[in-house]
Amino acid sequence: MDSTAWSMLLNGAWVTLWISGVSIALGVSLGLIIALIRSAKIPFVHQVLGLYISIARATPLVTLVLFIFLSAPTLGINMDRSIAGILALTLNTTAFNAEIWRSAFNNFSNDQREAALAVGMTPGVYFRRIMLPQIVITSLPSLVNEMSFLIKGSPAIAVIGIVDLTRVTNRISAVTYEPLPPILAAGALYMVIIAALVWFQRVAECKANRLAM
Amino acid sequence: MTDWQILWAERGVFVDGFLNTLQLFGLGTVLGFLLGCLIVFGLEGAKAPLRIALRIFIDAMRLLPFLVLAYLFYYGLPSLGIRLSSWEAGVSALVLYHGAYFAEILRGARVTLPPGQVEAAVAQGFSMPRMFLRLILPQLVLKSRGVIGNQLIILLKDTAFLVIITVRELTAAANGLSGTYFIPMQAFIVVIGFYWIISIALEQAVNWMGRSGAKRGFKNA
Amino acid sequence: MPELPEVSIQKLSKQFDGVEVLRDVSLEVQRGEVVSILGSSGSGKSTLLRCVNWLEQPDGGEIRIAGDRIGVKADGKAMNNRDLAKVRSQLGMVFQSFNLWPHLNVLHNVTEALIHVKGMKKAEAETLADELLAKVGMAEKRSNYPYTLSGGQKQRVAIARALAMQPRVMLFDEPTSALDPELVGEVLAVIRDLSQEGYTMIIVTHEMEFARNVSDQVVFLEKGKIIEKSAPEEFFVHPKTERVRQFLELDEKV
Repeated sequence: MDSTAWSMLLNGAWVTLWISGVSIALGVSLGLIIALIRSAKIPFVHQVLGLYISIARATPLVTLVLFIFLSAPTLGINMDRSIAGILALTLNTTAFNAEIWRSAFNNFSNDQREAALAVGMTPGVYFRRIMLPQIVITSLPSLVNEMSFLIKGSPAIAVIGIVDLTRVTNRISAVTYEPLPPILAAGALYMVIIAALVWFQRVAECKANRLAM
Repeated sequence: MTDWQILWAERGVFVDGFLNTLQLFGLGTVLGFLLGCLIVFGLEGAKAPLRIALRIFIDAMRLLPFLVLAYLFYYGLPSLGIRLSSWEAGVSALVLYHGAYFAEILRGARVTLPPGQVEAAVAQGFSMPRMFLRLILPQLVLKSRGVIGNQLIILLKDTAFLVIITVRELTAAANGLSGTYFIPMQAFIVVIGFYWIISIALEQAVNWMGRSGAKRGFKNA
Repeated sequence: MPELPEVSIQKLSKQFDGVEVLRDVSLEVQRGEVVSILGSSGSGKSTLLRCVNWLEQPDGGEIRIAGDRIGVKADGKAMNNRDLAKVRSQLGMVFQSFNLWPHLNVLHNVTEALIHVKGMKKAEAETLADELLAKVGMAEKRSNYPYTLSGGQKQRVAIARALAMQPRVMLFDEPTSALDPELVGEVLAVIRDLSQEGYTMIIVTHEMEFARNVSDQVVFLEKGKIIEKSAPEEFFVHPKTERVRQFLELDEKV
């Protein structure tokens, strides 16, 4: 592979990273919001969100990307490819993150809540100062694990023509007629990205274990 | 004809896609699981070089997106003179990729098994393969049934990636119909419904396994 | 006009799933008084203490802190969270399982409520916290995280955390029950010092010797009712009821 091929490959990696990054940021925050709404157990809303989570977790990313990108025009929406990709990845990862946050809420000890109320904290101060900081730390390993899953699923956006780290290998081999090197190089880049996340997950686990006293 | 009537008229396309997805899923599950068991057996008894090679293989698969492996088989192997059809490439990728994940799940459960059991079996004169098959493997499966269930759902969803290397499965069916009749929303809603139903059935199966495991005193992992 | 009692409990009752855990309990605690609550496990003594700062809501009766009702407003409606928090900040609570916040170090466990409930400035809060940590003998561990501390050390930090709010009354819910025997002494010593400084305290405990030494009043709870309430000498030397006599004998044998 020559330098043009490598720069194309790095461009593809950049596309994968920024689209996944935006989706992860959205998915982590939206997941938290959904978990909070679900914890209020408002009738109907609770069931609707539960249904969304169930369907989103069962739907393959490729299918979801195609669904969004192809359906949008029928509703009169002219959707950019990248937006469709981000939307699909976000819808997917939000559902998984909502479940991670929810289980962290459910497992949080009531003792600490009592200690906070006893020193005169209102439920709002308790949530902000005591519960949330700890939940972030204890959920981080699972959230990072989900980030790895999202990156491994992100090649799905190639199906609507986004030139990400996977699809760029087709582009390169269309010029070089040698498909094997770019695929292996792309594989290596994915491994570096995901290995970094796995390492980060280990660090996060060490932090979280200290909280679990 | 309404859009839904068109879909009903074309139901054969869905059924073909659905059956093809089920076939991919079934082959991936059975062969992948066998491969996973073989790898764990290899980690159990083999010499150091093989053990290290197996570990590298498992870790490599865990760091790789499934589609990249499918690309490697479909677009990459012809350079080495190995030409697979898209279906063959897809099945091979599913088996190899998820075989590694199954192996990792079983290995994780193996680590928690008390060594005394192996000693007891050796003392009774069990041969190594027989002991693994009769005593260790059943426990590993019972212990890790929840995680295996999750992995099956991931495997199911990974079959959809194969539309990108032109395998005619369920998602390809929706894609084809929506192209022909320009009714993407309805076509994909049907297909997503199919995936959802299979996932729920898998979850139920895991729950059912959970109860039969709990009877034997195995906690849910 | 006589001074109002710091804590006044009148005709308190409480049920859990139809089981009566408190029945018609009345108790007054004057300023500077130390009251120990004894009783076998399941007698309702912890529930009584937890009702005082409204962690449990009683089904009947009322509780007043220096004359003000907790939990219920003057118009008879339930207090909102903000008002409830205000009353609770006047009551320092020490739990059996310490309940330190593991994401904060020792110093910040103490300053957290000072800054975020009282609105005190950080520097001011830390000065106060350092004083209190010195008082409970934990000054050196101010930067440690809870997971590095022994049970006795955790409990002393928890006491400093409760003292920081300068409460009118300190409530202790079996403060030494979760501790290894060799760590009980250090915690009891801290509580004894507080009693000598004139803190008003209600202590639920199993430590008979300790209760005898520090209390002005001993209360014995049995199946949710107060069956004996007297000065410690009288309670331990001349118990009025057969039940208390049995209880004390059992304790001696252990």
